[in-house]
Amino acid sequence: MTSRPAGVVRGIFLATALVIVLFPLVWVTLASFKTPQQLNDPSLLFFLPSLDNWRFILDGGILEAAGRSAFVAGVTVGVSAIAGSAAAYVISAYKAGGTLTRFGILAAQVLPPAVLVFPFLTIAYMTRTNDSLIPLIFAHLSFVLPVVTWFLIGFFDSVPRSLEEQARVDGFSRFKAFLLVVLPQVYPGLGAAIIFGFTLSWNDMFYGLILTPTKSAILPVAIAGFNTFRGVELGSMSAAILVAVIPVVIASFFIQKRLVQGISGGAVKY
Amino acid sequence: MRRSPAATSASLSWFQLRMLAPLIAVASVAVGLPLVYAFYLSLTDFSLTQRGAAELVGFANYGASLTNEDLWGAIGTTFTYVIIAITLETILGLLIALSLQKQEWARDLTRAMLLAPMFITPIAVGLTFRFLLNDQLGAIPFLLDSVGLNYDFLGSGKALLTLAIIDVWQWTPFMVLLLLAGLESIPKQPLEAARVDGASAFYIFRRITFPLLIPVLSVAVLLRSLDALKVFEYVYATTRGGPGTETETIQYFTYQTGIQFFRLGEASSMAFILLLIVLPIIVFLFRRLDQRASK
Amino acid sequence: MGTVRLEGVEKSYGDTQIVEHLDLDFPDGTFTVLVGPSGCGKSTTLRMIAGLEPVSAGTVRINDVDVTWKEPKDRNIAMVFQNYALYPHLTVLENIAFPLRATKTSRDDARKRAQEIAESLGLGHLTKRKPKELSGGQQQRVAIGRAIIREPSVFLFDEPLSNLDAKLRVETRSELLTIQKRLGITSIYVTHDQEEAMTLSDRMVVMKDGKVAQLGTPAEVYSHPNSVFVATFVGSPKMTMLKGNLKGNTFIHESGTSWPIDHGPDGGILVGLRPEDIKLTPEPQGSGTIAQIELLGPRAVVTVDLSGTTLVSVVEAAQLSDLQPDGRVAVSFSPERAHLFDPTTEMRV
Repeated sequence: MTSRPAGVVRGIFLATALVIVLFPLVWVTLASFKTPQQLNDPSLLFFLPSLDNWRFILDGGILEAAGRSAFVAGVTVGVSAIAGSAAAYVISAYKAGGTLTRFGILAAQVLPPAVLVFPFLTIAYMTRTNDSLIPLIFAHLSFVLPVVTWFLIGFFDSVPRSLEEQARVDGFSRFKAFLLVVLPQVYPGLGAAIIFGFTLSWNDMFYGLILTPTKSAILPVAIAGFNTFRGVELGSMSAAILVAVIPVVIASFFIQKRLVQGISGGAVKY
Repeated sequence: MRRSPAATSASLSWFQLRMLAPLIAVASVAVGLPLVYAFYLSLTDFSLTQRGAAELVGFANYGASLTNEDLWGAIGTTFTYVIIAITLETILGLLIALSLQKQEWARDLTRAMLLAPMFITPIAVGLTFRFLLNDQLGAIPFLLDSVGLNYDFLGSGKALLTLAIIDVWQWTPFMVLLLLAGLESIPKQPLEAARVDGASAFYIFRRITFPLLIPVLSVAVLLRSLDALKVFEYVYATTRGGPGTETETIQYFTYQTGIQFFRLGEASSMAFILLLIVLPIIVFLFRRLDQRASK
Repeated sequence: MGTVRLEGVEKSYGDTQIVEHLDLDFPDGTFTVLVGPSGCGKSTTLRMIAGLEPVSAGTVRINDVDVTWKEPKDRNIAMVFQNYALYPHLTVLENIAFPLRATKTSRDDARKRAQEIAESLGLGHLTKRKPKELSGGQQQRVAIGRAIIREPSVFLFDEPLSNLDAKLRVETRSELLTIQKRLGITSIYVTHDQEEAMTLSDRMVVMKDGKVAQLGTPAEVYSHPNSVFVATFVGSPKMTMLKGNLKGNTFIHESGTSWPIDHGPDGGILVGLRPEDIKLTPEPQGSGTIAQIELLGPRAVVTVDLSGTTLVSVVEAAQLSDLQPDGRVAVSFSPERAHLFDPTTEMRV
């Protein structure tokens, strides 16, 4: 279908899709620079930008909230990467743990958070860690660790077994062979898994809302805090949204090629 | 064949165990323990406001939940939402993926931009749309007004559809991602042979492309459905379950029961009922993924 | 020093027995080839020697030490796989030096040594490249360089030349042999290509269905195959088998044609003839009809039809002038060149 009219239709279709995708984002960006009066006029496209909203959220601790989000995501992804790569390797190469393990990993990823959140909350109260980041890290691990592991299985599947055998014959133990030879082959996939896992943790609001509602609020919860309807809040909310959105969207540009192989657990290779 | 024979030597089993150990350790604490505890909670009358210790009430919570009309309403609402959203996402996703596949101009950039929405935190998406659709401050009612149209996006009878559209905005890219990969992994020869034989583009799609796409499509649909069932943030950002209980989804309803009414025992039982509903879908998805991986 | 001994080694997966009771000796410095059709257990045997596959029964000894349950890294062996298994993320030099990382050798010493070896293999100018930038033959040599850097007791080769095109295969083959002779390291080489086995080995182990069919030098196996299987497997073109009866001093083929054979027991018999031992003489009343002539330069392969049975003969090009397709020929051979096999057991008599 490379005929001209078909190409034009396609072009218009994709352009429309692009506009639909970008429109809300552009809108939010504009809103973040508007004063309350300017916000009252939805048609206002050209205006003198004001940094009031940005100052407001910075004073209000948005960077601290972002920092907490980053910390939780960082720890979660760090633990997940280590535990996940070791596990994904033996699951891929030796079908370790059998079908049950693989099923468990898939199920844990898609488990509705409503199931696990109440125990986390209760345990947090009991150990007096409520409204702190510790229970949140465990809650995030509950879905990020399986995702990262599942992701990596797909990539380990592409590494030929003979590489590991060669390393063992060359004088290395199974573990060293994994560390020095097999793991380096999946570095690109590992990078994508880490970015993807970080994004998942960074974007969570459900666990954050319930486990750390106030003192140690993470970024999405802080954004939800702007959820009122007065004009001044909308501008600040828009600014806060941008703080949350820009880093991950930029990061997403780097991992798209590897995403599919990871998400399907190796079932679909890109 | 990449399979290894049954692990016969002890050193291999030991090695596997050591490598799995960190995962098992973390998963036990992060998933296993809470899961068991959640089940225990569902069997008690635990409430955060209660002073005394919780008492085991057996399956009373389950009984109450299963006869709770509001819970079934929430389940129905959620399933309606999922069906609408997934159907739209699949059709749109397929069209976009087909278009992207043939695109030659600025491919990577277009794709990167089109996929961006799925990486945004859902609460931000929900709040953005709430803003966008707002009567006084939002751009969309403004644009509609300028052509004389009026639509109450979050009003009765329309709110659930609006939420589904938000879902479509954010998650169609996910479908596009997987379908595009599926399309690009279809071998070119059968398609070229059909073109040489004079088949029309539509015929090629219907008889060759689409059937070969079904495995990826089904995985994408299942994954997305499981995800859409968990919808919470859009509701929290816009309607808080309203008007009335029209947009009260399962996860939101459970949240209310547990956090706003503090009835954790009952909420846990609802969560487990949800889990039981979701389990067959997970099993089905797993079988599909395993099938493909072993080819 | 590098001797390998297999004592009663067996391998089975569940109910299937892949390798049955092997007793094999590999003396120091020899080049032994395990050859046979696919599924005969040769690769499995090699992997058991390497330690990549656990044995189901028996003992593996390297230099008289029982290594049956030792990890590959503790056996002081080197192995070259079919796809060379070069480390994609390392350069040529790092690939060759890699095995030394497991020892106490310093980084500098390892690099120096790897450089020497690279140069001796003609790879000196390629040391900074990554494997995917090399040709098949060059990758092969990197794999060999990596194998020799540790000065192992035994070299193991698992069909290392199968990925190369025919011409390259022949060139690399002789290179391999030169290196092995120079270093004198005991080598065990697995292949399904009988020609490779014949040209490379000091000793051949022909395997079938997990058992040793015959063990001997190439000359022995070629001139005295002990079974129909070995006789038809080794040698190209294949040996022609004629079914018939021996009576007294005559062999009567099932087609009716007879030839004098002065040895062997009376009764049913299978007579095997190598192509070079089948003589063809143009004869208008001859029992054979030429079906096909394939010219191979100095020689030609002539296929003859003898009342339904196909014989394959090899003649010098000079003699071709007398032979044409569809021409009638008389088929003859020297009796002492005939290999006789029992028709039931298919073993040599």
